[in-house]
Amino acid sequence: MKLFTENRGTHWHCGLLDGPCQTDELDALVSHPAHGAIAQFFGVVRNHNDGLEAAAVDYDVHPELALKAMSELCSDISSEYPVRLLLVHSRGLVRVGEASVVIAASSAHRKDALGAVSDTIDQLKVRVPIWKKEIGPDDEQRWLDGYSLRKD
Amino acid sequence: MTQIHVHCLGVFREIGDGFDVDTPSNSVDAIRRAVAEHLMHMGRSDLNDVLKRSVFAEGDELLKDHMVVEGSAVSVLPPVAGG
Repeated sequence: MKLFTENRGTHWHCGLLDGPCQTDELDALVSHPAHGAIAQFFGVVRNHNDGLEAAAVDYDVHPELALKAMSELCSDISSEYPVRLLLVHSRGLVRVGEASVVIAASSAHRKDALGAVSDTIDQLKVRVPIWKKEIGPDDEQRWLDGYSLRKD
Repeated sequence: MTQIHVHCLGVFREIGDGFDVDTPSNSVDAIRRAVAEHLMHMGRSDLNDVLKRSVFAEGDELLKDHMVVEGSAVSVLPPVAGG
């Protein structure tokens, strides 16, 4: 994948790319001879939301802040689970059926890989400065609400 | 008065990629009030509820309202919705 910004830790790799995420051969990016489990999650744009048809989602990103938040998230997850972790998110237009986020984790046993992937997507949604503008079949557009980062 | 450039993200892009506001101080709280006034002048008071749930950032640092901006530009970040 051609990431336009990325960061690495000892056991994790994260980044952002323009357009949809690649979903093949992710296992090779996290595999390790000592790891007997690989879990993957693809967040895919669906053709409906809140009762409305959707054709695509245009993702807006604050690259500096998003990469920082993704790095902190990967670091936190790697501290909690003994995994090798990959996290990639899209910027820009992603059409129905294409992936906007991919997460892969490998671990010695399945519970850690599955837990790491599940926690990563849950946390990404509330911590990383990324915004969705949904585009309908007739090009109607609406920004989706989300989680406030405000702490005061 | 201090002039601050506000970079728009998410739903705030509906009013452009950015705009300038004049504030009596460079505290985040003052900038937030100036942005609310700007939204009113733009006829976009409907974004005030989003503004209340938004956070400001300078570079890669998220700012709390009691903090002071060191430079002359901030980003306004509405609630996030990645994934």
